[in-house]
Amino acid sequence: MTDTREELETRGPTNGPPPLLRFVAAKIGGGVVSLFLVAVLGFFLFRVLPGDPARTMTRSTPVSAEQLAALRHRFGLDQPLYLQFRDFLLNLLHGDLGTSYIYNRPVAELILERIGPTVLLGGTATVAAVLVGLWMGTRAAWRQGGPVDRWFTSVGLTLWSVPTFWLGLLLLMAFGVGVGPLPGLFPVAGMSSPDVPAGVVARVLDVAHHLVLPCLTLVAVIYAQFMMVMRTSLLEEMGAEYLTTARAKGLREDLVRRRHAVPNALLPTVTLIFLHLGLVVAGAITVETVFSWPGLGLLTYEALRVPDLPLLQGTFIVLAGSVIVMNVLAELIYRFLDPRVRES
Amino acid sequence: MNPILRMDGVSVTYRGSARPRQAVTDANLTLEAGATLGLAGESGCGKTSLALAVLRLLPRSAEVDGTILLDGRDIERLTWGGLRAVRWASASVVFQGAMHALNPVRTIADQIAEPIRLHSSERLSAAVLRARVVELLEQVEIPGRRRDAYPHELSGGQRQRVMIAMALACEPRLIIADEPTTALDVVVQAQVLSLLRQLVAERGIALLMISHDLSVLAASCRRLAVMYRGRLVEEGPARRLASSPEHEHTRALATAFPTIGDTGSRYPGAGEPAGETGSARRALLSAEGVSVVFEDRYRNRVPAVRGVDLEVTGDEILALVGQSGSGKTTLARTLLGLRRPDAGVVYYDGRPLPTSGRRLRDFRGNVQLVLQDPTGALNPRHTVYEAVAEGLRVHGGAADEATRVREALEAAELRPAEEFTGRFPHELSGGQRQRVVIAGALVLRPRVLVADEPVASLDATVRGEILALLLRLRRERGVSSLVITHDLGLAWNIADRVAVMRAGGIVESGPVERVLLEPEHEYTTELLAAVPSFERSVS
Repeated sequence: MTDTREELETRGPTNGPPPLLRFVAAKIGGGVVSLFLVAVLGFFLFRVLPGDPARTMTRSTPVSAEQLAALRHRFGLDQPLYLQFRDFLLNLLHGDLGTSYIYNRPVAELILERIGPTVLLGGTATVAAVLVGLWMGTRAAWRQGGPVDRWFTSVGLTLWSVPTFWLGLLLLMAFGVGVGPLPGLFPVAGMSSPDVPAGVVARVLDVAHHLVLPCLTLVAVIYAQFMMVMRTSLLEEMGAEYLTTARAKGLREDLVRRRHAVPNALLPTVTLIFLHLGLVVAGAITVETVFSWPGLGLLTYEALRVPDLPLLQGTFIVLAGSVIVMNVLAELIYRFLDPRVRES
Repeated sequence: MNPILRMDGVSVTYRGSARPRQAVTDANLTLEAGATLGLAGESGCGKTSLALAVLRLLPRSAEVDGTILLDGRDIERLTWGGLRAVRWASASVVFQGAMHALNPVRTIADQIAEPIRLHSSERLSAAVLRARVVELLEQVEIPGRRRDAYPHELSGGQRQRVMIAMALACEPRLIIADEPTTALDVVVQAQVLSLLRQLVAERGIALLMISHDLSVLAASCRRLAVMYRGRLVEEGPARRLASSPEHEHTRALATAFPTIGDTGSRYPGAGEPAGETGSARRALLSAEGVSVVFEDRYRNRVPAVRGVDLEVTGDEILALVGQSGSGKTTLARTLLGLRRPDAGVVYYDGRPLPTSGRRLRDFRGNVQLVLQDPTGALNPRHTVYEAVAEGLRVHGGAADEATRVREALEAAELRPAEEFTGRFPHELSGGQRQRVVIAGALVLRPRVLVADEPVASLDATVRGEILALLLRLRRERGVSSLVITHDLGLAWNIADRVAVMRAGGIVESGPVERVLLEPEHEYTTELLAAVPSFERSVS
């Protein structure tokens, strides 16, 4: 039968660049366009805010009209909007995000300084939450309706619904300040103590000690979403016929789960995880504020109080940009995990 | 000889939330080593429950009574560890619809190697495993270099071959094949069946094959058993069951599948267009030199339909027959105006098809589509009334909506209509659902029905009723039908004319008797040879 022979031949590309390259180029291209739109939005969003930046900067000291004009000239605020926008874009291309009003230092420098602590806190918390959530979701789904499922689901949903700052304050009081006989076990603010002995190990331990409470707060609040998505996804796979095939082959139940059900159920969680990694930078604003963690979240909070327009604009671009970058990454990685997506 | 499988008084009961449902009642079966047994029955008769009970693969809610001896061992008494050792090593399973029975994210080599590694007493090196997998793949005529393919990269027939290779992996003494060819078209079905038949015969493996299609079983098994409502009603040599069935259900199953050439299989009214007048014989829906080209992911232009001329005259039933991938569905979509042809013209009632707007909508009111799977075609949250009335509303509504819906339901033989209007799809049987889909088409009073595999997902007995309905609609309301199918028997059942399609072109067309009994094109002969029938049953 000639038809069968034909379809057995491997089909391959005959012209144009390989599909993988095209796919990657298309995704990255899309990401760059989104980033540009974010920059545009960032610029105009903060220009339509009420209030005169020059007056904000000089709130505490009396200044003359000439001094105000000089200040406006220095920050380029006396230029027409389109020229300001052009300069803003050109500077952005050079990595220049302007100068902060309150710190009187380049915004890019400030952000770079603060991004490390944020990634440390958000990254640790997200990784921990993903691990805990996926494990709990798997356990809950495998015995749907059982006691484990009921406990995991209700506790997870309760914590998910708790306001972050409230939980943070509670933990801070219980374990930071100490309640009753309980002494304060963990530091309440900042990322390091001033009186740390020299040596790498001691410094690392000190930072880890400071990290416990904010990290715990974040994990408690966000792990539920990974758990619920994993649970639903695995429940959907549980009825799949290939699991019957796997059982018929004589596989132990835990191998059926580990080798066959979980890899398929993980696919939908990948998108969620990467979307969340994008939010790592932004998501920690409340926690950083509660625990005075010297990260981007705290910086944004400080910039908002003034408001410090260039700084806000800079953090806005970095936060939104990280979401876009992670999204593009998620799509690229998904393609390698799911052979079916590779085809389309 | 020791029987490889013995079932004594086996019953399967599902303990649901409501009342327990007995799926199998007191089944007794014996299968000698190396023998072949076909288990026939309609959906829900308990045949799959009985087969899965052999390896204790039923869900927790199922309770099995009686004794099942597999290779002399009592399955119910085995420990879990003992059971796992027996699974696949003593008996393996070829599941229905291999798309879902294979893990989509793992390569086929990986999935075939898994049971070998699991049941082997020693640790096998990667090279040995790979060699064994390639050998197995080549036995089922899949080139070894395709071993790293994922299931979705293979065609339906190839996936079923992979399932067979997997079933052979541990050299079991029994293979249970559950509807192994149901989703495949005739030619591929014939290939898969002959491969399976040959492989089990060569190795002396016993085969328990389950199907709703008696002719498929007769083509592969020496003995047949027929199940009806959970009971085995008849068992015997395939020849005898085919020639002189004793139980009336066996007879019903046997007659539901047509024998091409047997005038008894032609439904009354088939081949007799009612109106022989000039106006009725005019082409109602026709294609002239229609071509459709798709672009694949490498931007290659793949012709799906190549320069097809086809006409459906008023008052006729035309069967468009071809294998999957022959372009028949694409052609139908083009005729319906769902896709514009890349070349050629589609005419309706003598005028080219309108391309947009109100006139295209009017055209669609006259030419209605009936899909293959009624379960997927109906919105589960719409009542029967809403499902049928939707077409009317899309076409601007009708003042007498309720009357029109009732009329359409009755025309589709859902009587009395009042009893069905408030029901939801899940409360209906498969045949009733397909009638609702047909009523949804009829409510617009179309002149042509385009039916894409209208009975492929239905049981044998229901199939006959739906086909008879198409004939009655033609006789009583003058509705023409274009039936798209891979089933030549269906064409023989009801069509006046048949057009055979292959690789996007029509190779032969003409009156059913002429094309199916004296085929001119070799491809038609090939298709006819692939149709399983009792005449060619194994002895």
